[in-house]
Amino acid sequence: MKKLNRRKFLQVAGASSAVAAGVMVPSTGLLERYAAKDGAMTFRAVAGMPAKPLPNYASYVIEGHVNLATSSGVITKTVFAGSPETMSTIALPGMSRIGRISSVQDQGGSLLITGVVDDRSQLKRGESSTFTVLVDRLNGVAQAEFFGKLVSLNLV
Amino acid sequence: MADHLDAPGLMSPNMDAEIDITDHYAFQKPGNPDKSILILNVNPLAPTLANSFESGAIYEIKVDTDADAVAEVAFRITFSPNDNGNQTATVRRVTGNAAAGVGTEGHIIIENAPVNFDSSVTITEHGPYKFYAGFRSDPFFFDLVGFLHGFHFTGSDFFIDKNVFSMVLEVPNWALGDNPNVGIWVRTLKATGDANGDADDFFQNDQMGRPAINTVFNHGNDKLTFNTTQPAQMRALFGQSFENTLKSFGYDDAHADAITNILLPDILTYDYSSSAGFLNGRKLTDDVIDIELALVTNGKVTTDMVGPHTDYLDEFPYVGQPHV
Repeated sequence: MKKLNRRKFLQVAGASSAVAAGVMVPSTGLLERYAAKDGAMTFRAVAGMPAKPLPNYASYVIEGHVNLATSSGVITKTVFAGSPETMSTIALPGMSRIGRISSVQDQGGSLLITGVVDDRSQLKRGESSTFTVLVDRLNGVAQAEFFGKLVSLNLV
Repeated sequence: MADHLDAPGLMSPNMDAEIDITDHYAFQKPGNPDKSILILNVNPLAPTLANSFESGAIYEIKVDTDADAVAEVAFRITFSPNDNGNQTATVRRVTGNAAAGVGTEGHIIIENAPVNFDSSVTITEHGPYKFYAGFRSDPFFFDLVGFLHGFHFTGSDFFIDKNVFSMVLEVPNWALGDNPNVGIWVRTLKATGDANGDADDFFQNDQMGRPAINTVFNHGNDKLTFNTTQPAQMRALFGQSFENTLKSFGYDDAHADAITNILLPDILTYDYSSSAGFLNGRKLTDDVIDIELALVTNGKVTTDMVGPHTDYLDEFPYVGQPHV
């Protein structure tokens, strides 16, 4: 599994944020690699929490519904009780976020998605309303922050 | 997450929070060294997942009086169906071989005790026993997000605004046996629907001795197996796994073995002649997580930076009013 370190993740995330205010037009290659003919792409990424060797108590799940043609869509982040192998449908309260996608970029074959949580009542004090998710389909992983720390998730 | 949300019944589609144990406590009654307080809490995140006790289930407090990891005394709590917000509890005490088994027999010590579904406190007394059942503030305190981050704690108490369903039983110490050094654990049993009067009428759903043992030490489906393993079999089945986890925190073989023998069987040791707290029994205010963190991580992590809640009551039933 290819790993993206925190420094590189923040570099590409920062680059994305800097241009997020403008209109992002994904490349033709990105559409071909990731999307169906209508430009739609969905993904689901899961990580056991805490990470091994500790036993997983919960599962961090990120789901994306992305329109690559318009750089729009929705990202949901949820923490479910139970490890990925025994995941329940119980979402731990206070840990779910629903965000609107504001830009999508091709970053060396990976998909860098930037978004914003419009409903700030979901956020904890001091928590940023913007978020970034890096989707690397080639290596089957995604990277995103979980309350300030970078987490690697498996695409499923 | 002392024992919250680790029951097999919480797996979709058979969610059964009513019999999911969250915590249990055992401590000498404040101001009366001749009595003990036993608390069994269930239903994490109440009332989100469930809003009553389960009729037909058995909520059981087991007492081992001779350190053989087998109960010689048991308190069995059962509930009537919830009839438009009216539900009552019956508490039985059973001793001897029957205490180690499965069943609903036993001497009734509390009968028709009403369940409190709001912040009211209705206490039922009978002889030397006192009982409360109902909707209360979850007394557990812990930085869950820090735990999910792998013990990188920030002092955010996930449970500060959560509720549970509590069963609080005041007993004379003699009801726990003549030997003041006892071992206590709790379990929930679910009716199979068979109900022909034999041991197959129920199956064990959840179990807990000390806080967070199953949560921290067992992986995946082992959690489910641990919940249904009798304490006397725990060392044989889980000892090696516990030792491996402890060694991953830097313990050598000898120390990992010694600590495993403290943690297993998963039973809360309690000397009812002492008012001391955890590891002697467990009081509501005991910072059990800090104590266990230091033990399990070989001193690498000593606190989650979260302390006791401020809503505990000074008198029976001791557990605070629910957050509404």
